[in-house]
Amino acid sequence: MTMATQTERRLRISGILIVLGLLVEALSLARIHPLAFLGFMFVGGGLLVFGIAIYLYSIVSAASPPEIR
Amino acid sequence: MQMLTVPGPATLLYVLIGVTIVLVATIVFRPSLTDTRGGKQLAFIVYFLLPVVVASMGASEHMERSKETQFCLSCHVMDPYGRSLSIDDPMYVPAAHFQNARIPREEACYTCHTDYVMYGSILTKLRGLRHVYVQYLGTIVTPIHLYNAYNNRECLHCHGGARSFEEGAVHSADPSIMASIKSNQLSCLTSGCHDNVHGVAHLSELKFWEPK
Repeated sequence: MTMATQTERRLRISGILIVLGLLVEALSLARIHPLAFLGFMFVGGGLLVFGIAIYLYSIVSAASPPEIR
Repeated sequence: MQMLTVPGPATLLYVLIGVTIVLVATIVFRPSLTDTRGGKQLAFIVYFLLPVVVASMGASEHMERSKETQFCLSCHVMDPYGRSLSIDDPMYVPAAHFQNARIPREEACYTCHTDYVMYGSILTKLRGLRHVYVQYLGTIVTPIHLYNAYNNRECLHCHGGARSFEEGAVHSADPSIMASIKSNQLSCLTSGCHDNVHGVAHLSELKFWEPK
């Protein structure tokens, strides 16, 4: 797999995680309930953190020079 | 003249979430957009900055909402405490405050319990999480009780400096009484002065106020 394809794949995965996280956060705001708060913090927040981490990893790994063998 | 209505933080948050989703979805479907310098900058904004801003605003909004009476009373164990706010007897301190709008009704619990669960130190926040665990997965120990004795500070947020309090016959009968109240040495609630609080143990014997 080429570097560009791998970066695009990571961008897609992180984008999907971020969208899912944002949808969970939007849904959690529809209710005033302790479970909505927990859903926001742990489910929505968790998906966002993973999505952002994968995105940051993708830009860091795309920026590093190819390994010399 | 029609007044301009400013959208609330929740509306702005929904708009921001919608915009972020659209922008992220655009890059998910066309990742080649990030090949250019401008595309990379856009990706950084929508994959990093906007989600962080949304999460921060959402956390703040949830914290505000958790002050609402509705939030506290959403746990079954709190039902009697919610009901006690309608006791038709002015001797019951929370009921008298709630019914006479001495506290904001929509934030009734939080107004008098400002250091409870979400709003104290890390330890008290962890207790808040434990409450949710016990509510759904554990066994609730009844009767429920405060972790620490009720602090006069909660009363003095409003009553401190008020003429009726500062010049009250009993409060000012002896300078040492006022000093003891203000230093929390003499409890407002348990020293025999204002000791009718929620009265949940005998709610079935009491009459209730019905707002007209």
